[in-house]
Amino acid sequence: MPYTILEHTADVRLLVEGRSLPELFSEALRGMMELLKPEGVSGESSAAEGTAETNRRIAIASPSATALLVDFLNEALCLAYSHREMYQVSFEEISEPRVRAVLRGRPVNSFGEDIKAVTYHEAEIRKNAAGNLETKLVFDL
Amino acid sequence: MIAKSNLVKVHDWLWEIPRSHRADMRVPARVYASDHMLDQITTDRSLEQLVNVATLPGIVGHALAMPDIHEGYGFPVGGVAAFDAADGVISPGGIGYDINCGVRLLCSDVPVSAIQPHLSELGAALYREVPSGVGRGGRLVMKGHDMDAVLEGGAPRLVEMGYGEAADLERTESRGKLEPAAAALVSSHAKDRGRDQLGTMGAGNHFVEVGSVEGIYDAEAAQHLGLFKDQVTVLIHTGSRGLGHQVATDFIRGMVRAMPRYGITLPDVELACTPFASNEGQEYFQAMSAGANFAWANRQLITWEVRQAWEQVLGDAGGPLRLLYDVAHNIAKIEEYRVGPVSKRLVIHRKGATRAFPGQPVLVPGSMGTRSFLLMGGEKAMAESFGSSCHGAGRRMSRTRAKKEIQGAELKQRLNAQGIVVNVGKLSALAEEAPEAYKDVNEVVDVIHQAGIARKIAHFRPVAVIKG
Repeated sequence: MPYTILEHTADVRLLVEGRSLPELFSEALRGMMELLKPEGVSGESSAAEGTAETNRRIAIASPSATALLVDFLNEALCLAYSHREMYQVSFEEISEPRVRAVLRGRPVNSFGEDIKAVTYHEAEIRKNAAGNLETKLVFDL
Repeated sequence: MIAKSNLVKVHDWLWEIPRSHRADMRVPARVYASDHMLDQITTDRSLEQLVNVATLPGIVGHALAMPDIHEGYGFPVGGVAAFDAADGVISPGGIGYDINCGVRLLCSDVPVSAIQPHLSELGAALYREVPSGVGRGGRLVMKGHDMDAVLEGGAPRLVEMGYGEAADLERTESRGKLEPAAAALVSSHAKDRGRDQLGTMGAGNHFVEVGSVEGIYDAEAAQHLGLFKDQVTVLIHTGSRGLGHQVATDFIRGMVRAMPRYGITLPDVELACTPFASNEGQEYFQAMSAGANFAWANRQLITWEVRQAWEQVLGDAGGPLRLLYDVAHNIAKIEEYRVGPVSKRLVIHRKGATRAFPGQPVLVPGSMGTRSFLLMGGEKAMAESFGSSCHGAGRRMSRTRAKKEIQGAELKQRLNAQGIVVNVGKLSALAEEAPEAYKDVNEVVDVIHQAGIARKIAHFRPVAVIKG
C-alpha cells in the first residue's frame, strides 16, 4: 500500500511509502488528492468537462527531505484551492534540499475535504523494514 | 501515552503534570477536567502534546488545557499558553491554521413558535445565502486595495461597506479588528486562496445553527443580555478560511528555517516558534492579526447573509437579529497579567480556547444536535487560566471512524425526528460531526462552571443546522 489512512482524533493521518524520493512524493500527493477529491467520483471524473490540463511549475527548497515533502504538499494544496485543480506531478529535479516539478492540473468544480494544511507533526522520512522510504503525514482538517 | 497516574490532583476540577515529569519541561502542565473525563482524555496523545508546549522558551505559569482538550498536531486543541512578550516566543501552531476561528451569537426578539411553521424555508434560505462547502465562492471577490482594506480593517471595514451595524462592533471581541495587522505581510498565495472566500462558511465543523433558549441558569444576567426563554438565536461558527490557513502555513515554514538562528530546538517541529520580539515573531503577529481581521470580516458578512435570509423568510414579523457577542477561539493576543509580584505583558496563545474576561460572554457550541452554552467569564479566569475558557464539546472520535460507524442519511433522519431541520452539502460531512463523535458538552461546561472560570448563563437547543 503506497499510502494508508490512519486514525487521528480530529484530523487525518496518512502513512506514505515509496521506493525512492520521487515515488514517496508522488504517493503523498496522490494521497492528498484522494482526500481532496469530491465524494463518490474518481479523480478523473471529478474534473470539469471539456477543459484542458494546465501545467504549474514549482520550485521549493527546504532544510531537510521531510520539510521538503511537507512544503511541496502545501504548495500543491495552495495551488489546488486557488485554481480549483487536482494534480499529478512530473519531477524535473528532486534531491534533499530542493524540488523542481511540474504539477499537471485538471480543473474541478468542488473538493471533498477542506484540508487546511499539511503539518510537520509526526513527519519524518525514514527507511522501513522493507527498505522503502516511509513517513506519516498529519493533515489539519 | 500519559496515564492518569502521572497526574496530581490540584482540586476536583484541575489536575497537574508536574515539571518533574519530563526533564525538558519549563513549567508544569495543567488540565481542567473531572475525574471521569480524564479517562477519555488519556486515551489519545493530547496530554503529551501539552507537555511539549510546557517546554517552549519563555512560557509563563502553566501550559493549560481546557476540558474539551483533544489531540491536535503540535499544540493540543483546547490549549492555552502564555509567553513573556519580552523574552518568550510566539508559535503559529499555538494559534492553529484557522486563525480566529470563532463563534458569534445572534438573538432575535421572537419566540421559536413564531418561526416553527417557516423552519424548512428558513433552513433552505440560510443554506442558499451562506455559501458553504469546499470550493464554493462567496458574493465578494477581494483583490488589491480592497483585500488589504479588509485585512487591516476587519469587521469595521465590512460595516463601512454596508454589511452590518455599528452596534455589531460593540459586541465583538476586540471590536472585530486587531490593530497590528499588516496586509503587506500576507503572501499573495494567502490572498489568492481567500479572494472569494469572504462570507463563506467552509466545511468541517463549521456551521450556522438556528436555536432557541431552552434553559436559563442566571435570570438576572440573561435578562441583562436580552435573553428570554424560547427566544430564537443563531450561532455562526467559522474562521479565516483558506487565507488564514495559508498565513499559518507560510509562517510555520519560515519559522522552521529561522529557529536554528535562535538556538531553539523542539520536541515537535510543528511547535515552530521564534522570539516574539524577533523580526519573524513580529511579522507573524502582524500577519496573524490580518488573518484574524479577515475572519471577523467573514463572520460579519455571514451575519449580513443570515439577516438577509431571515428577512426573506419572515419579513417584518421576524424583527431584528442583533449580535449578542463574537468570540475568537484560535488567536494570540497581548494581555497583561500578574506574574508573581509584577505585572507582565504576555502573548496569550489560545488554540481551541475562548477569552473569558470577567463579565464577558463566552460562547460554547455543543456538537451538532446537542445544546450550546452561553457562559460569563469570572474573576478566577484572570487568576488561574490567563482569562481563558473552553471553546466547545471537543472531539473524541476520529472523522474516519465516525464516517465508518455513522451513516449520514440515518443521522439526518434522527435529527429530523428530534425536530431539527438539516441542510447539508454532503451527508458524510454530517456523519463526521455526529454528536457521538464529540464529548458531552454538559460535562465540559460543568467543569468550567465548577472551577469558577466562567459561570453558566443559558443554553440553547438547535432547531435548524446548516453545514457544508
